[in-house]
Amino acid sequence: MKPAFFQALRNPLWWLLLAALAMLPLGLPSYYLHIATLTLVYVALGSAWNIVGGVGGQISLAHSLFVGTGAMLASAMLLNSGINMWVGLVVAALVSGLMGFLIAVIDFRFKLGHLSFALITLAFAEMGEIIVIGWDYLGGASGLFLPRDKGDFSAFQFGGGEGAFYVMLFLAALSVLVSFAILNLPLGYYLRTIRDNENAARAIGVNIFRNKALAMVISAVLASIIGTAYARYLTFADPYLLSSPVLTIEIVLMATVGGLGRSMGPALGALLLVPLGEILRGKLGGVLPGLHYFVYGGVVVAVILATPRGLLPLIQERFARLRGNAKPEGSVASSGA
Amino acid sequence: MSEILQALAQGFLVGSTYGMLALGMGLVYSVSGIVNFAHGDFVLLGMYLCFALASAFALDPYVSIFITLPTMMAVGGAVYYFLIRPIAGHHLLMVIQLTLGVSLLVQNGLLMSFGGQFHRAPSMLESKLWLLGPVVVRVPQVISAAASFSIAIGLFILLRSTDIGRSIRAVHQNARAAALMGIDVGKVRMLTFAAGIGLLAIAAALLVPGTPMHPSMGLRYTAITLIVVVLGGMTNFVGIMLAGLVIGISESLGTIYLSDTLGMILPYAIFVIIMLFRPQGLLKSA
Repeated sequence: MKPAFFQALRNPLWWLLLAALAMLPLGLPSYYLHIATLTLVYVALGSAWNIVGGVGGQISLAHSLFVGTGAMLASAMLLNSGINMWVGLVVAALVSGLMGFLIAVIDFRFKLGHLSFALITLAFAEMGEIIVIGWDYLGGASGLFLPRDKGDFSAFQFGGGEGAFYVMLFLAALSVLVSFAILNLPLGYYLRTIRDNENAARAIGVNIFRNKALAMVISAVLASIIGTAYARYLTFADPYLLSSPVLTIEIVLMATVGGLGRSMGPALGALLLVPLGEILRGKLGGVLPGLHYFVYGGVVVAVILATPRGLLPLIQERFARLRGNAKPEGSVASSGA
Repeated sequence: MSEILQALAQGFLVGSTYGMLALGMGLVYSVSGIVNFAHGDFVLLGMYLCFALASAFALDPYVSIFITLPTMMAVGGAVYYFLIRPIAGHHLLMVIQLTLGVSLLVQNGLLMSFGGQFHRAPSMLESKLWLLGPVVVRVPQVISAAASFSIAIGLFILLRSTDIGRSIRAVHQNARAAALMGIDVGKVRMLTFAAGIGLLAIAAALLVPGTPMHPSMGLRYTAITLIVVVLGGMTNFVGIMLAGLVIGISESLGTIYLSDTLGMILPYAIFVIIMLFRPQGLLKSA
């Protein structure tokens, strides 16, 4: 572990930020608390995806599989087999980790290129959604309604609004911390080397399969746990939301807009886009169907045209120029993500 | 026996349409390396243009091609010039995300203009059927398949023996060398993007008879197109048409012989299996 990691952990700024976030539920009306919670869900998911997609440079479109497994399998085990949701969370996380491992095996065994990897994971995700919708145990097309949240911690209940916010804050912080730790561990350096030049990485003895598989499994397990908590928060496990490839596309959008391969990039993207989308929905949703997504799409296009390398690299460069030092964290050499 | 013949015929007809949808994407990818995730939404834009012309002037979809083709080419050229050109050369994902933004714009622009109910634009030929022995086929689908193959052959000839075709191939093989030979690379890329979207105007008009349209169907068309393009080897037009047929036939066999769920999975499963054993696609890049 590089000392930079512990230095950053000792930086009081992060702790102040976390404390400020933890105070949020005290002052926010429930509608804005909902938006804040939703933002944290996407911060967590974006950071989890970033481990594979940003640091490792593998465009995985399979993450709806892991979120969907976490959400649907854990909910189905509770409702159809009466198994405690904590157990469901662990089982779903294990299943997701295994699926992630198998995807890594397939990727390695058949030496997939970038685009093939993206398309094959997309095909897996499409198949996953079709299976969830066609399989009654997992709720089928109508989804699963979880029992009301009475705040019983031992039954994976956190008492609605505020409790869910703290759970999501914990998961978002965990997800960001894990990706920050990976960036400062040998794993992160190996992954970035593989991303930037796989042949060179192999030549200097980096174990390609071990590193890629590890990244995929960590990312999948995180996504699955977040999926379980997200379903609990929504109290309705909706297959068209939680196991749909559209979810992955949203996650990738936020990670890309924020800045790939940096620990805070996906968080920044989610922080910008989720509240924007929700507020637009609230203000314009009733005016004309489609208008709020139209504006959202316009903003996405404008932001990408303005910052084609992501927001965070741009901000970091501005700051670095002000202070006149420091390479951005996401790059090994001079080349960025 | 007649059931399997019917399924094969149906799959062949649908598959050739998939092939045509994919030709435009393959063409654009070959010269610009761009994967356009708004592809399916432009198909729907073309279909809605047909619908608008049909309801305003009672134009038959096949006739409206003369208006929709130039319109869509202009739209494609503008999208390339103003949106894609400025960020070409950045991370592949950025370009993909930008086209996803465009997809949101087109999809919701259609939703705002035409509403969320299903629409159809009928054609005179819509309900005509042909009987070929034991097999029944719908005339619009036969027209569509015939047009797809003619367009594929036309593109092949265009690329092979015309000046513009040679410059497209030159940019595909080596953009820098092409520029040194005096080819305006930017212009070639814009033209092919416009042509790729223009092809979708034709595809849309061929799809419209018998296909109800809804603004949210774009992503599905994009996914099918992507799968066909990748399966066909990205830039090989023969491979792309072949891949369209493979996906179309597996879809129709799947819906007839397997349960709902398994039938819908079949095309994806076949795609994954073929990709694993032939990662370069059915036929390798031309």
